Amino acid sequence: MKRGSVSAIINLVEPWEALEPLTAARPVGMLPFGGRYRLLDFPLSSAINAGIQNVMVTSPRSGRSVSDHLRSGRDWNLDTIRGGLFMYPYNDLKLVAPEKKATLIHHYYDNSILFLKRSHSEYSVVMSTRNVGNIDLKALLRYHEERDNPVTTVYKSVDPKLLMPQNTILQLTDKGMATAVMPAEKAKLPKTAKKAAKNMDIYLMSTVDLIEILDEANRRGDLISLEELMKQAVIQHNANAFEYTGFQANIHDLASYFAANMSILDEANFRALFYSSRRIYTKVKNEVPTFFAEGSQFRASLCGTGGYIEGQVDHSVIFRNVLINRGSQIKDAVIMQGTRIGAGTKIENVIIDKNVVIGPNLILKGTPTEPLVISKGQHIFRQTEVVTSD
Amino acid sequence: MNDDMLGIILAGGQGTRLGKLTKGTAKPAVPFGGRYRIIDFTLSNCANSGVNTVGVITQYQPLELNAHIGNGASWGLDDLNGGVTVLQPYSSSEGEKFFEGTAHAIYQNIEYIDQQNPKYLLVLSGDHIYKMDYDAMLDYHKAKKASLTVGVIPVTKQEAKRFGMMNTDETDRIIEFEEKPEHPKSDKASMGIYIFNWPTLRDYLVKSYATDKSMEDFGKNVIPSYLAHNESVYAYAFKGYWRDVGTIQSLWQANMEFLSPHNRLNIGDNNWRIYSKAQVLPPMFLTETSQVNNSMIVDSCYVAGEVDHSILSQRVSVGMGSRVVDSMVMPGATIGKNVVIDHALIGEEAVIGDDAIVKGTATDIAVVGYDEVVGVEKP
Repeated sequence: MKRGSVSAIINLVEPWEALEPLTAARPVGMLPFGGRYRLLDFPLSSAINAGIQNVMVTSPRSGRSVSDHLRSGRDWNLDTIRGGLFMYPYNDLKLVAPEKKATLIHHYYDNSILFLKRSHSEYSVVMSTRNVGNIDLKALLRYHEERDNPVTTVYKSVDPKLLMPQNTILQLTDKGMATAVMPAEKAKLPKTAKKAAKNMDIYLMSTVDLIEILDEANRRGDLISLEELMKQAVIQHNANAFEYTGFQANIHDLASYFAANMSILDEANFRALFYSSRRIYTKVKNEVPTFFAEGSQFRASLCGTGGYIEGQVDHSVIFRNVLINRGSQIKDAVIMQGTRIGAGTKIENVIIDKNVVIGPNLILKGTPTEPLVISKGQHIFRQTEVVTSD
Repeated sequence: MNDDMLGIILAGGQGTRLGKLTKGTAKPAVPFGGRYRIIDFTLSNCANSGVNTVGVITQYQPLELNAHIGNGASWGLDDLNGGVTVLQPYSSSEGEKFFEGTAHAIYQNIEYIDQQNPKYLLVLSGDHIYKMDYDAMLDYHKAKKASLTVGVIPVTKQEAKRFGMMNTDETDRIIEFEEKPEHPKSDKASMGIYIFNWPTLRDYLVKSYATDKSMEDFGKNVIPSYLAHNESVYAYAFKGYWRDVGTIQSLWQANMEFLSPHNRLNIGDNNWRIYSKAQVLPPMFLTETSQVNNSMIVDSCYVAGEVDHSILSQRVSVGMGSRVVDSMVMPGATIGKNVVIDHALIGEEAVIGDDAIVKGTATDIAVVGYDEVVGVEKP
């Protein structure tokens, strides 16, 4: 792909309510995933791996966590003299005062338009973060160039039983063209259907067309999300539908976030996501090696660096800098960066956010569909402080 | 910040005593402790001491070292007004700038040093494992109004026979230097760390190379000459953890010490971090059948076997039924199934075939070289 011929907009303004409390202070795209990554790393890496050098990241609020993660974009090779990384915070209209909101009418898409115009790119791709995958955007561009419709969308063919209410699906013609994007529940798939085209929320079109869509939305005075505009564009123009066949995780609520983390403990999924020819980039950290003490048992699990493991860990995703004390038993858990687990504590089906301290000899237990969540920075030393979900 | 002090790391030695491990790479580039290379300690010390301009003098097999250092950004040494410069021999109208000894290496790079125009020159080796504040040493150097300050470490009488020993008076002024003495008079061994007043050293070197060319080595030539000319030479005593890892045995030993949570090096101290080239790799994966005790493991390792009191570096895999004991495995090495690795150093990208045995002893460490293939039958 010629340098600069494609630009990318990664949209972090995504529904976050069902992921609370994990999303209380971070956008969905900043959710930690897979031992050392954030969801944002996946679409960003897809862009980088396709040689895209103009990337805009829109975030709902201040984007502190986003800019702390991305900084200059160096870790993604985006601190270039041409193009680079552009941050665009404060896009969550719920947080905007009414008088400010009034001034945004006819101007809500100005920054995106400016970014696109200055990118001098021929094509643009719009992505979000809650469909984790490792997609080949070069192949997507080829597919687009070979076809006639102005927009190309991406879908993953899935068993309809696995669809969640939050998913949208593409309505495909016999020739594989998408004519609509609709919520899974409204799609009225025949009961016998074995496959559904799950929308991956990735849209590719010419930059000129995207600017036109945004200009028009400005003229109309729209204040709706980029994603919504993209769906409208599919319905309006019909779209080419590109099938993605790699690993995908579908993250919409706590159960699906938990399941997605558990799914990469399956070695085939782990390798498909992380060891393809397209690497996943993230912020680099200088951590010391993880130490596994005498008597520790760490099995069927992932671990970041900087950890200190004395206890037993089974089938869990352990992030960087986690301390697991002697005699603790951890099973089916997601434990994020900087958390400490006391001696003799038993943990099962639990998500523990960053920098949590769990005291000794406690029992934390959730279920696979309702994992117990301990939110960021909590210190828990008494069993009565644990709200169990069963 | 030390705008006045330029750091020079001597990284050109062949490191012949590391045998196979330095056949294709410079000693400072040899992996250490799972996610470091030996030179990371010195480079991080510079960064943490505020020595922001550093020249790394290379000569022997520099490619891996160059790739590792890059623009110095991984150590925060991609400074706007300084940064890391890798100095390689080049040819000029005066001939080729290869060098013989430590002082000669400085002389051959005199143009680079003059460009930086430092007041003080900090000369370091790239093959030691330690955490040291060079800024504190500079304070000492200034307080003593020294012309040269030599970093020294206390050693036993037995060890003294392997070092250049500094005999001092009660003010720590060095009055005598003895290279590898049979009967040491002090316990102060040179660490190969020097702070020179640059204009003075420059004079000595330029005069020497204009006449008898005698200033080849700091220990053998420069220090004795300084003492003979009554320059004020002081010993700066370093009390922390320090290891020379110039031999297979000492490299293995320092790695085993590194494994201990009580190691005096205190690698986890965030106030004095050791940085290394940043690499983005997936997290480590330990399977259902793994058994890991007393060991350090880093990103992108895959363990299905047993690892006991050992260090695995990035991208190392250990197959099912294998046992790695008292060993250090360097990046990218692949260990097959039912393999035994015991008291060994395994080189980068080495391949150990199924059922192979690599077994050394505590006094005779087994070594597998870089890219070496053990126990795989050729098709």
